Amino acid sequence: MSILIDEKSRVVVQGITGGAGVFHTKKMLEYGTKVVAGTSPGKGGHEIEGVSVYDTIEECVKEQGADVSVMFIPPRFVLDGAIEAIEAGIRLLVVIPEMIPVHDMLKIRLAAVKKGCTVIGGNTAGLISPGKCNVGIMPEITFKQGRIGIVSRSGSLNYYVADTLTKSGLGETTCVGLGGDPILGSTFSDILPMFENDPQTEGVVIVGEIGGVYEEEAAGAIKKMKKPVVFFVAGRNAPKGKRMGHAGAIVEGDMGTADSKIRAMKEAGAGIAYKFSEIPGLFGSKVGTGR
Amino acid sequence: MRLFEFEAKKLIKDEGIPVPEGRMAEDVSGVKKIFSELGGAPVVIKSQILAGARGKSGGITFAGTAEQAEEEAGRLLGSKIREFPVKNVLIEEKVKIAEEFYLGVTIDRMRYKIVLIACAEGGVEIEEVAKSSPEKIKKLAFDANEDFYPHHGLVIARRLGLSGDKMKEFGKIASKLFKAFKKYDAKLLEINPLVYTDDGRWVAVDTRMSIDEDALFRQKTLVELGVEGRHEEGELTPRELEAREAGIPYLDLDGNIGMFPGGAGMGIASIDLITDLGGSPANFMDSGGGPTPERLARMLKLLVDNPKVDVIFGARFGGVSRCDVFAEGVIMYLKDEKPEKPMIMRMTGNMWKEGLEMFEKAKAESPGLFEKIKIYGIETPIEDVAKEAVEAADEISAGKGVVR
Repeated sequence: MSILIDEKSRVVVQGITGGAGVFHTKKMLEYGTKVVAGTSPGKGGHEIEGVSVYDTIEECVKEQGADVSVMFIPPRFVLDGAIEAIEAGIRLLVVIPEMIPVHDMLKIRLAAVKKGCTVIGGNTAGLISPGKCNVGIMPEITFKQGRIGIVSRSGSLNYYVADTLTKSGLGETTCVGLGGDPILGSTFSDILPMFENDPQTEGVVIVGEIGGVYEEEAAGAIKKMKKPVVFFVAGRNAPKGKRMGHAGAIVEGDMGTADSKIRAMKEAGAGIAYKFSEIPGLFGSKVGTGR
Repeated sequence: MRLFEFEAKKLIKDEGIPVPEGRMAEDVSGVKKIFSELGGAPVVIKSQILAGARGKSGGITFAGTAEQAEEEAGRLLGSKIREFPVKNVLIEEKVKIAEEFYLGVTIDRMRYKIVLIACAEGGVEIEEVAKSSPEKIKKLAFDANEDFYPHHGLVIARRLGLSGDKMKEFGKIASKLFKAFKKYDAKLLEINPLVYTDDGRWVAVDTRMSIDEDALFRQKTLVELGVEGRHEEGELTPRELEAREAGIPYLDLDGNIGMFPGGAGMGIASIDLITDLGGSPANFMDSGGGPTPERLARMLKLLVDNPKVDVIFGARFGGVSRCDVFAEGVIMYLKDEKPEKPMIMRMTGNMWKEGLEMFEKAKAESPGLFEKIKIYGIETPIEDVAKEAVEAADEISAGKGVVR
């Protein structure tokens, strides 16, 4: 098992005819992801890498049974594209573009919750269930099917944590990149119960980043979990109040600092990793023995 | 992105929210004229800087006569308040305060709501009030697609204990503020204090507004105000400015290890990694997704040109980006600039083998360029590569007689 995506997922690429759309469609197909359709308004009827291009998502759902969508479109078009996908019945929407207006993200979240769609991103590298399905732009190289779930805000840190888990032999069930924008389609606390309910996942790594409130908010969800959780946060030595690239990574108020996040996670019972290499050891004997 | 007070006031005034009568001055020459235009009554002179606590830092002053106004404005203009140079001042009629309220709109990221916040005890201590007497803070939360109806304004005014015309007028201001918040893609829009004068009027005495720079493409009015490209807060160092012009997220730190990472997440984490190993990073940097070879070369130049930098530490994970493109950028830079500084890098992810092959080929062609360059692949842990960079930096510092 895995969460959100697996070998049965049928993926549509929004913006399939653009440069990034073409490149990553090819990469996803090479991985074995079932990319069944793409959209590009006005270009319906064409083919990209053997994948049929449609004008609307509705057609992709009706004719190809698409249930997952991944976006490679400019941020100003994300609101329209997201509402289109949600209304067409897509159950998982992966928003790769960054710098999406925050008011647009509020509207997207609202529509998604109403229709039971999970939105990941913006500014995410996507998600991967190793050996089954890869949706987005993560390189497959570090991932290997295994026992641990990863949920991370940063794409680059997701790779490093997966690299560590793969080398330790634990491997991953699903790795979810929540994204680096200030308002996200899904938060840690949306994803954690999915891992708790997934029979194959034996533990979860949460990879946080300074700024924002989503790590602190996750404490409640962790307390409800039986599976072990390990927390890694980037930015312990960041100068306070300085803006660090990701629009979301702004140290703000009491919440948002690395200290505040580590405190909340410790209190919720998570193990704290200060280096990537400490992560497997923190699961200790809690995982990998009962199979 | 924060707006100046005078900009925020212009925007809310355009929505019909009363603000004090005022004029801007960039030098003292017109101050006496402004004083008489404002009716010859006492004025307040406010430095326009993008920082809070201006009053406590001496950035706000009062004057009762034209001469005094000229003198006070002259004192503020050209001075620095909280290290920010004062380039202009806002001169306003001094409002006769009877009561100070707080009224604000912001986004609750955890609950995905737009929240209207009001309190009958406004002013500089609002955060203290929120902590010590949270029951005094009244809130109304809205979904992004919900409208603000006139009754919402009345509801919040009643919860503050207001009645009659005072309540009705407060409600209208709340409604207009909410409208402006949405109209301008704001992240924060607050009036503090919202003053009730002793002659029975509401006046927005101070206003703070932060807007979403990612929504500027549809905000013509804001672009016309000239907010594009303005930094979130504070002044930039010359190198930060240079990076900004090249479109590279970059911050100066104090150390001697030039950080050449991939994405922002790893950029932040590699600062922790180097610091934990006893090293001292010289900067934060983010390549952005899928940098071109030219951009990578530009990033390297920025680091090597920094006299504080002794060693470059690179960590590239080809995700959105590709390692062959990374190699192309680094090789381009080495050939063009022939830098003397050691570079210790690790490269994995998309096309990492191709990238390594390109480095090997370039090295075979011009070995001289690669004397101080080390490139590792996926088989070497990142901690080991970081350690080598820290040791190399320490060695150079020791040679310079610097104790770290």
